[in-house]
Amino acid sequence: MTLTPEIIALLTLDVIFLGLGTLALILSLRIAYRWDYASSTPLQYRLTKQSTLVAVIIKYIFILKLPLFLFFVYTCDKLSSVITGAMCASGVVNSVGFGLDLTLFKLFNLYGFGFWLLLHVEDTSHVRLAYTRLKFILFALLCVPLFAEIVLEIGFFTRLDVSKIVSCCGTLFSAASSSASLSLLFNVDARLWVCLFYFFYMVSLIALGFKSTAGMIVSNTLFLIFALISLIVFFSTYVYELPTHRCPFCLLQKEYYYVGYGLYIMLFTGTFCAVGGGLLALMTHTIPYRYWRLSGLFNTAYVLSISAYPLAYYLKNGVWL
Amino acid sequence: MIVVSNVSKIFTQAEERVQALSHVSLHVAQGECVLLKGASGSGKSTLLSLIAGLAQPTSGSIVVAGEEISKMPERLSAQMRRERIGFIFQKFHLIPYLSVQENVTTPLVPENLPLHVIAEKAKRAMERCRIAHKAHMSVHRLSGGEQQRTAIARALVHNPMIVLADEPTANLDRKLSLSLIEELRALKDEGVTLVVATHDPLFFDLDFVDQTIELHHGALRP
Amino acid sequence: MLFSFRWLLLEYAVRSLFRRFGKNFFIFLILSFLIFILSSVLMIAESIKAELNATLKTLPDITLQRFVAGKQTQIPISRVDALLEIQGVGSVTPRIWGYYYFKPAGVNFSVVGLDIYEEPYSATMARLIKDVNWTQGSYDAMMIVGEGVKTILRENYYNDFFHFITPEGQTKKVGIAGVFHSDLALEANDLIVLPKRAAYEIFGMNASDATDIVLKVSANVSEIPTIVAKIIEKFPDLRVVTRDDIRVSYQNIFDYKSGFFLALFCVCAFAFFIIVYDKSNALSSEEKKEIGILKALGWDTDTVLQEKFFESFILSLGAFLFGLATALFYVYALQAPLLRAIFTGYSALKPPFDLPYTLSVSMIVLLFLLSVPVYIAATLIPAWRTSIVDADEVLR
Repeated sequence: MTLTPEIIALLTLDVIFLGLGTLALILSLRIAYRWDYASSTPLQYRLTKQSTLVAVIIKYIFILKLPLFLFFVYTCDKLSSVITGAMCASGVVNSVGFGLDLTLFKLFNLYGFGFWLLLHVEDTSHVRLAYTRLKFILFALLCVPLFAEIVLEIGFFTRLDVSKIVSCCGTLFSAASSSASLSLLFNVDARLWVCLFYFFYMVSLIALGFKSTAGMIVSNTLFLIFALISLIVFFSTYVYELPTHRCPFCLLQKEYYYVGYGLYIMLFTGTFCAVGGGLLALMTHTIPYRYWRLSGLFNTAYVLSISAYPLAYYLKNGVWL
Repeated sequence: MIVVSNVSKIFTQAEERVQALSHVSLHVAQGECVLLKGASGSGKSTLLSLIAGLAQPTSGSIVVAGEEISKMPERLSAQMRRERIGFIFQKFHLIPYLSVQENVTTPLVPENLPLHVIAEKAKRAMERCRIAHKAHMSVHRLSGGEQQRTAIARALVHNPMIVLADEPTANLDRKLSLSLIEELRALKDEGVTLVVATHDPLFFDLDFVDQTIELHHGALRP
Repeated sequence: MLFSFRWLLLEYAVRSLFRRFGKNFFIFLILSFLIFILSSVLMIAESIKAELNATLKTLPDITLQRFVAGKQTQIPISRVDALLEIQGVGSVTPRIWGYYYFKPAGVNFSVVGLDIYEEPYSATMARLIKDVNWTQGSYDAMMIVGEGVKTILRENYYNDFFHFITPEGQTKKVGIAGVFHSDLALEANDLIVLPKRAAYEIFGMNASDATDIVLKVSANVSEIPTIVAKIIEKFPDLRVVTRDDIRVSYQNIFDYKSGFFLALFCVCAFAFFIIVYDKSNALSSEEKKEIGILKALGWDTDTVLQEKFFESFILSLGAFLFGLATALFYVYALQAPLLRAIFTGYSALKPPFDLPYTLSVSMIVLLFLLSVPVYIAATLIPAWRTSIVDADEVLR
């Protein structure tokens, strides 16, 4: 167990989230079960007031989770200087068996709670508060990954052992990776992933043009997946200008001007607006064109900036890596 | 403009059920002035808060400007108050230590309008109530008459169609009460719908009152 | 928009804070004080860490110590040649150094023996002895001392020379050739540098032994583990300490220390937030009336909540900035009287060194996360309780 100030800060906030989250869960279960907009009983009256408390707790958690996600990655990055063998956050994250799961949970929760807020905005401006029951059921479901994340995070930091030697990103993200699924990515030709990446970007633009809800959700989900894979396998090497250096975490370091933060924000915002807006469209039967336009904007910005790296490299050096 | 149909309101206070209103119906046409009479505790204030959407009736319905305010979620009823309804309270209820202008702009705060629009609206309301020259003075340093004009300016800042007044002349001397009545008359002349809850005899037999309704223990007295 | 910004509401929140000046000022002061303490401790820890890291940079790549029966002992200098044969080893220097206990003042001096003609094993050392006049005069030897040593000696009336007492009980009169001024105060303050021959006499050591041996690695730094393995194979009785080992252990000590403090701090802060919760939970009738008026004027619960959030945010951000500023002043301008004792207490000598300025963005982020969101969490439920006050309260 290593108690650096950063870890204590993360754990303190985790405990707060756990407490407030539990309260919100209890209240939202009751609201989901007893909500009846038409009734004017004292119970319904109380539930109406409690629903604002749940909403404010969720807003609090979500607004903090955004910077905390960055702070978590940053903390891991900082710890990499303490842990032998780790060169960047990826080594630290992978030093505990479920480190990668934790990161994925964090990402999933950001998407989930972001979507909850979209639904909440839709609900509070509805004349009959038609989605209240739905949003509290959704929150109760989202509590599962939320609590899983918090428990994993506490477990992660308590199990983190500074004296253990871990692998650096160079071995984790290569064909020799011990993880079967990761090594598969590298055994397939990188060009395939890059093609899929651009293909699904085009599909998402077409879906946007046709305002197809299902098209937006599916194409953007796949776009996100292949964007991440092609980033690790292909694009990151151009950022580092090293054919063997493939890592999604080193991008976040000072040596590369923290470019990763910008790239990830564009990618995640873009796909979130598309998928979140799409799910909203399924529930409310209206086209959230505002969100989709944003999505198209952010996705395009991401594609352009990540493509600029290989192009710039080619123009400068006249060869591909 | 305001249609109250068969409204009852029951408060549950410490296990005890209090019937504040029972089966009240009432119709107020646009531009009318209605007087709600009755001793204190007769349900006048409760009826006002139901009309404003500040509380919801236990049964019955209230329609204001064509919309059923009694069934609206809080966010929308608040919006309704911001757009359509002005309030004049007993003892004015200005917010202490804020300036006249700040008090007058309070109803506009949630709207998120551009600052110059807000300033413009506030100026118009203050000029109309002849209080613009004290715009930046803190309200607790104003005289009674000036406080009254600030309160009216606040009620009018968003050009409401309806003005609700709750015991507006309680705690006022005769002179101020008469000037308030003149203000109300001016509003009525502009076509604003007025509902005044009061038990002040000064209001009885006023020429511009169209309807007088008397409440007694929560029920309309015929 | 999802989160559109309401300037007027912010203005209203500021006025509201000032309207309840007494209560809010009390909270502001206590919160500032807590943040001040927290920032100071973390800044001191960070600063000492930076000082140590600078010191560590001057350390040799590898240090070899010999252990016999679990105790550190001298290494025969004859092993140097065998070590030089190992691939990747650049230079090998036997060192003679140790602590000399000066009874009248109750302190230890670090005594290092050095040959002026030999290549010094660290750049700092080289700099320290560069411009010193080693002319012996009437003394047995000459030495240069750190500022701390100089002060202690002067307090005991040794102005130009000092009598060392050897283990055999003989005195050795060593003249002071100079005082070095170092920006690495932590390392150099208690240091005495004198010729090797004199050091052997003072420690009563055999001239064929060394205290330890330091290596410079000529190959890539990443080859160090291989070199370490080869050394251990050749001389199993040697303990190998690399620079990285020392760095990790230092970093652990300080993170542990400030972490421990943080844990204590959390308890205090928790007590404070209970008070805040309690204070803001008890709604005055005046406050209730105000919320009622606002609601009648068209505010909804969310607007009131947002106003309350602005209040907590402004208050805690103000306290954060104020606490941070005072901590900066206290730590770097005043050199943190009292508090730094927590961290420097572990060392045998108490060297008066300056805390170097090391404020990073990440430190500010960390302090922010530990103060503002935690305070807002404590006021979340009270704010909600305020915001749901029924508007018809004012109409009675």
